[in-house]
Amino acid sequence: MRAWGFVAAAYGIVWGVILLYLYSLKRRYNQAAAKLNELRSDGGQR
Amino acid sequence: MAKQLQPAHNRKGILGALALVAVAVGLYWSLVVAPPDAYQGEVQRIMYLHLPSILIAYLSYFLVFIGSGLYLWKREKRDDILAHAAAEIGVLFTALTIIEGSIWGRPTWGVWWTWDARLTLTAILLLIYVGYLMLRSLIEDENRAATAAAVLGIIGFLDIPLIHMSVYWWRTLHQPPSILRPDKLPWENVHPSMLTALTISFVGFLLLYFYLLSLRYRIGEMRQEIQALRLKRGA
Amino acid sequence: MTLLGQAYLLLWKDVLLELRRRDSLLTMFFFGTLLLFVFHFSFDLAPERVPEMAPALLWLAFLFTGTLGLAQLFQAERENNCFDALLLSPLDRGALFLAKTGFNLILMVLVEIVVIPLFWILFNLRSWNLLPQVFLVTLLGTIGFCVLGTLMSAITLRARARELLLPLVLFPLMIPVILATIRCMEEVLRTGQFGDALPWLRLLLGFDVIFLTAGVLIFDRVIES
Repeated sequence: MRAWGFVAAAYGIVWGVILLYLYSLKRRYNQAAAKLNELRSDGGQR
Repeated sequence: MAKQLQPAHNRKGILGALALVAVAVGLYWSLVVAPPDAYQGEVQRIMYLHLPSILIAYLSYFLVFIGSGLYLWKREKRDDILAHAAAEIGVLFTALTIIEGSIWGRPTWGVWWTWDARLTLTAILLLIYVGYLMLRSLIEDENRAATAAAVLGIIGFLDIPLIHMSVYWWRTLHQPPSILRPDKLPWENVHPSMLTALTISFVGFLLLYFYLLSLRYRIGEMRQEIQALRLKRGA
Repeated sequence: MTLLGQAYLLLWKDVLLELRRRDSLLTMFFFGTLLLFVFHFSFDLAPERVPEMAPALLWLAFLFTGTLGLAQLFQAERENNCFDALLLSPLDRGALFLAKTGFNLILMVLVEIVVIPLFWILFNLRSWNLLPQVFLVTLLGTIGFCVLGTLMSAITLRARARELLLPLVLFPLMIPVILATIRCMEEVLRTGQFGDALPWLRLLLGFDVIFLTAGVLIFDRVIES
């Protein structure tokens, strides 16, 4: 049963980290997209 | 403007969904369907993470190499963006590979770390590409940073076979006469569903990788465009 | 003018500059010797164990000393804006790479010629007859170090924390050289000949050739502004 503890740890850490990274990517993506839209729409006005 | 993004956005969405499905099926196969190993027991299931992880890492570094080479040759920004994105995700998967290897090693060999060829190699890989990322962040000028990184991306990749050879020779020539022979995967009597689990997991990781890469690449592209727009505005 | 001809000219310029002031050479020499002293105090080796540890200690000393030299490598060009002059001239950039690598190699070899016998004296080694083989291995390893070191030195020129970044990117790449030279030297000191260590020697040679070639080809793209 101890063995499943290691398996759980491995799978847990791996997918946890991947999800965190995915979250980080999404955040950066949205930030960049927002900034880009802002700059593009600004251009129309100037 | 938003309409322009839609097709690419949709493709990414489909890729992401496919990845999710493959990963889920892979998880089910790895944890439920495949039987425990005759020698290693349940712990062997970690291999369904470990092997795909390291393969993905190598794939990533190959892409860094290609991107770096193309960038030095043609100086097109998109190759640099690809190299940077691939390096970042490569480092992620390399770190995961080491963690998985370590967790697998504890019940198998009794230790959290050993200087066997595989783990050592993976650690060196991590050092090289973390160095790549640090190099990029420490150089102010964008173009210089891209050039410097490209050189490291090429040289680093060329060095990998040499590092492989030297570390493997080192470890096999100095093998301590004990039960700890961690270079070999004790895969006896491979049950077919184990191979299936491995394959599905690998496919899942691969799809996930390209999904992450496409996101990270797009972020790089957007940043590039943001910079260009800012320059035009004189901001 | 041929690639080698150009390289020779540039190399000669650096050598002349160094002959005049000998900054790099002396600093590297004293630093190498200092490291030997520090190692002696740190490791407190029994005489029987010295031949085992000697290769590793020697190579560590040269690695750190060489890194010092690398930090200085493009100093003259940076200070006097010579890069612009070099870029405007019809020189093959590969020649600059060969010249800089060659210059660092000369500096390191000069240091090694003194430090290796010094090591033998300080650590009471008897195997003076093995010095030629030791020098050969050291030379091959030093070439590998200088080749990659020059490349890394060039690309980190404008980086922040340059003195830290240079070793950080260089050392992992050097691992084949470190392993090969130390294993070769161990074999030589143990048995008096290369024997089992021949594959390591071939690896060193291959490493030198591969990265010398890559360096010459790539350097063109490295020095742009």
